[in-house]
Amino acid sequence: MHVLKLVIANIRKGKSAASSLALLILISAVLLNVGLTIMFSIQTFYDEKVEELQEAHAAIIMKQDSHVAEPLNFLQGYPGIEGALQEDVLLLPSAQFQYSTSEMTSDVALLNAELDRDFPRLKFTERLDAISDQDIYLPYRFKLGAGYKLGDTFEFSYADQTYSYRIAGFFESALLGNIDVGLIKFMLPDAAYDSLEQKLGAEAQASLLSVRLEHSADSPKLIEAYSKQFETGASRGGELYWSGDVVMVKSANTMTINIVAMILVAFAAIVVLVSLIVIHFRIANSIEDGIVNIGILKSLGYTSREIRGSMLVQFAGIALLSSLLGIVLSYWIMPVFGGIISSLAGLLWTMQVDVGLHAFSILLILVTVLAVTLWSSRRIHFLQPVEALRGGLAAHSFRKNFVPLDKSSGGLTWMLAWKAVLGSLKQNLLIACIIAAVTFASVFAVVLYYNVGADRTTFIQLVGSETAEVVAITKPGTDSAEFIKEVEAMEGVVKATILDVTMMEIEGNRYYTQVTEDFSRLENNTVYEGRYPKYNNEIVISGAISKEIGKGIGDTVSVTVQGETKTYLVTGLSQSINFLGLVASITKEGIEQLAPDYESSVFNIYLDQISTVNFIKQLNAQWGERLDSVTDLEEVFNSQSSIYITALFSVMVLILTITSVVVILILYLVIKTMILKRRRELGIYKAIGYTTLQLTNQIALSFVPVVVTGILAGSVIGYIFTNPLLAFLLSSAGIFNVDFNVPLAGIIILGLGITALSYAVSLLVSSRIRHISTYELITE
Amino acid sequence: MGNSILRTDKLCKSFSSSGVQQHVLKNLDLEIQAGDFTVIMGSSGSGKSTLLYTLSGMDKPTMGDIYFGERSLSGLSNDQLAVFRRQHCGFVFQQIHLLDNMSVLDNVLAGGLLVSKNKRSVAAEARKLLAQVGLPATAWGKFPSQISGGEAQRAAIARALINRPQIVFADEPTGALNSATSTLVLDVLTEVHQSGQSLIMVTHDIKSALRGNRVIYLCDGIICGDLRLEPYATDELTARNEKLKAFLSEMGW
Repeated sequence: MHVLKLVIANIRKGKSAASSLALLILISAVLLNVGLTIMFSIQTFYDEKVEELQEAHAAIIMKQDSHVAEPLNFLQGYPGIEGALQEDVLLLPSAQFQYSTSEMTSDVALLNAELDRDFPRLKFTERLDAISDQDIYLPYRFKLGAGYKLGDTFEFSYADQTYSYRIAGFFESALLGNIDVGLIKFMLPDAAYDSLEQKLGAEAQASLLSVRLEHSADSPKLIEAYSKQFETGASRGGELYWSGDVVMVKSANTMTINIVAMILVAFAAIVVLVSLIVIHFRIANSIEDGIVNIGILKSLGYTSREIRGSMLVQFAGIALLSSLLGIVLSYWIMPVFGGIISSLAGLLWTMQVDVGLHAFSILLILVTVLAVTLWSSRRIHFLQPVEALRGGLAAHSFRKNFVPLDKSSGGLTWMLAWKAVLGSLKQNLLIACIIAAVTFASVFAVVLYYNVGADRTTFIQLVGSETAEVVAITKPGTDSAEFIKEVEAMEGVVKATILDVTMMEIEGNRYYTQVTEDFSRLENNTVYEGRYPKYNNEIVISGAISKEIGKGIGDTVSVTVQGETKTYLVTGLSQSINFLGLVASITKEGIEQLAPDYESSVFNIYLDQISTVNFIKQLNAQWGERLDSVTDLEEVFNSQSSIYITALFSVMVLILTITSVVVILILYLVIKTMILKRRRELGIYKAIGYTTLQLTNQIALSFVPVVVTGILAGSVIGYIFTNPLLAFLLSSAGIFNVDFNVPLAGIIILGLGITALSYAVSLLVSSRIRHISTYELITE
Repeated sequence: MGNSILRTDKLCKSFSSSGVQQHVLKNLDLEIQAGDFTVIMGSSGSGKSTLLYTLSGMDKPTMGDIYFGERSLSGLSNDQLAVFRRQHCGFVFQQIHLLDNMSVLDNVLAGGLLVSKNKRSVAAEARKLLAQVGLPATAWGKFPSQISGGEAQRAAIARALINRPQIVFADEPTGALNSATSTLVLDVLTEVHQSGQSLIMVTHDIKSALRGNRVIYLCDGIICGDLRLEPYATDELTARNEKLKAFLSEMGW
């Protein structure tokens, strides 16, 4: 009971310090809980959704004229298969529709919503009751990412025809619900499906083969085995039109979420660290301030254990209450991140109560707080009552007279400020470390947002896309040299290049491969080590392939296409975020060694001083009949990246806000306790004639070197390590080298901003001494 | 008798404690002459320290005026009072109050550099004063915790004198010192006075009070006795002592 009395007395004495500490712990508990919840549950979220929706683990779409029976037999006989089924769908290559603010081009598969199928289950997130033959159901992502609502009109264009529907529902799909994977499915009620089927005719008929396996992780192997069995590539005209599996889609969908979660957890760790340092300050100062009281308590017969126990109970109590409140608060904040996750994944995120995870967050905070309290209060154990009653004079052992006033240069206030800095070097180093950590986090967030949201050149390079304005796909039988020659002669065209993606077998494994005539004509160099292939016996493999097959630059690899095998020299390592980073590059001459009748069909067209829309009109007018599709690449990129930009912008704003809060809180706590500690000293200064302004300036200035050191360290670390850290975070996605632009001006502005904020906070907090009279300071 | 340096006009100082107003100084009229070593005595709680701190601009009066020469201090802001203190006052405290994170020399300079920007001349003056108060050069670079109480108080006197103040305020300067050290400190203060410096000192110690040439006795916030003495001289100590004792006895000491 007597310990409890001490606890209450301690808290009452430092009410504002206790509440600001509680706020810091609250922030760290919220961040930790949200970050951990996202990080742990995203791993299972996608898999649980696949099971909840009974989603196909792999899907293959082929044109209707293909022979379906044989592939279906193959799939049904594949080891570990749980079910394989076929259904007729309508396939619209390069259909166009409005997505958010962009005109989006994507391959679309239209399915009959009322067809009775074993899987996947059609689960609506919302749906209109009355259905007409002019209704359509869209993936949930169209509501979150594109802003469509129930009852809105949705139009898509295909083969110069526009089809208009009313949105009657949104459904979840873990495999074909995203615009990022090249093919998206819409669903139509029976009547609407029949009506469209008649309008489109046989040309649009296609087969969708859906497969469920015992282990969903085996789905990429199944697709690989299928491709190998039927010798099809990704180029148009092959039997297989499109294939995808849940592993690939999961990886594409969860990568950004994982990065966001990692940033949150890392930032939570920083805030927890800050809280621990603050607790250390608090305890050290409360021992310092209450040293005589400790002496009195000891002389009364209190044991060190009881006095330290009161501190433990005090800080553990604050930590427990704040982190409990933080967990509750995280339920309020989680929907914001849930919305981002839903947008990124295209699936409905519902936050589940994970008591274990909450308990872990609380326990982690509690244990670290208790450890720091025990460590910081250990001095009490060695403090003799007599020494404590004398004010612990033994503790005041200054060793060096920093900045002697007679020999140092600079103004008096500045010299005294430096004295204060160097006099509390340990404390100031800790503050500098905190500022460095939050500055680094801010620089990281700003660089990330700058490269994705503002200047996207490097991001586009990172993704592995070309910076062409238009991609044209020609129909089979088109002479590529003639096409390039004629397109390059068109007004506003800078150049046109081939950039096919086909399948090749390298060292027995099948990989996507980029093919062009001359890689030096491409704008985006994805080779981070070595060089692109120049000759017909050279190849570039991605870092991820290199890891998988154990071959590097200078090694030879065996490449097989259509049963022909030759060896090629690896001249470089490349990276791409596409195809899980598993992609190779070869010249057209190179692939012709194995497939002499190889035909190119995908062309990048680079424009200057002409509107893309006008150019596409001209191209369609000139080449319309021989073109399979024309895509406005920038529009596609804009529509696909808007969701990432929003997510990263939210993270950046969150981190900058928390940085400001941390800077304000830490300076508030440190300066407030410092004023308490230096009350007598400040009184002496006032007595001998120092004005309040001189003293507040002296206090504020004494934090400038500390803050500036922290900001400089954080900025330099951010400047140097943002790219390596990103490369580390993205390495699982096939990125090994990140070369994001680090905007120096932005970092300088950020640094100046934090410095100005710190100085203003320091001045504001230290101006408290204005209200304390010299007499009070001296006599108290 | 010299010119008036400090004058109060119906000076009042009250403190409020738990809603109860406590009047410490009551309509006090006092005139301090330049060059005097004025000693303020009185029983505990009579308002000695309050008077000293109010006179020196460390605290503001509740009512009434304080004049430094012809200048009223009553309307000055806290910062204006700080500037007044640095230009015209020096302080010596019972608890010594040296800045414990500074060397002895820096403590003196911390006051001196407030008034003069000429670091070299202030440093020379500080060293001269430290030598004058009898502090060996070996102690100048030490921290307050590394020197004795008497040495620290002599350093504090040097700091009080660094800006050549018109008046030095001392609040029981020997209160925390032993007998031998007290005498050394009092000798320094006496020398300072003999050089023409005005001093006001609060004390309850007769040995200390003997150094003054005027003793004011406070009773419950008012002046109830004012004794004039000849300037201090060691050869007439007995007579001086008796005169002071008689006065204090009369005051009910």
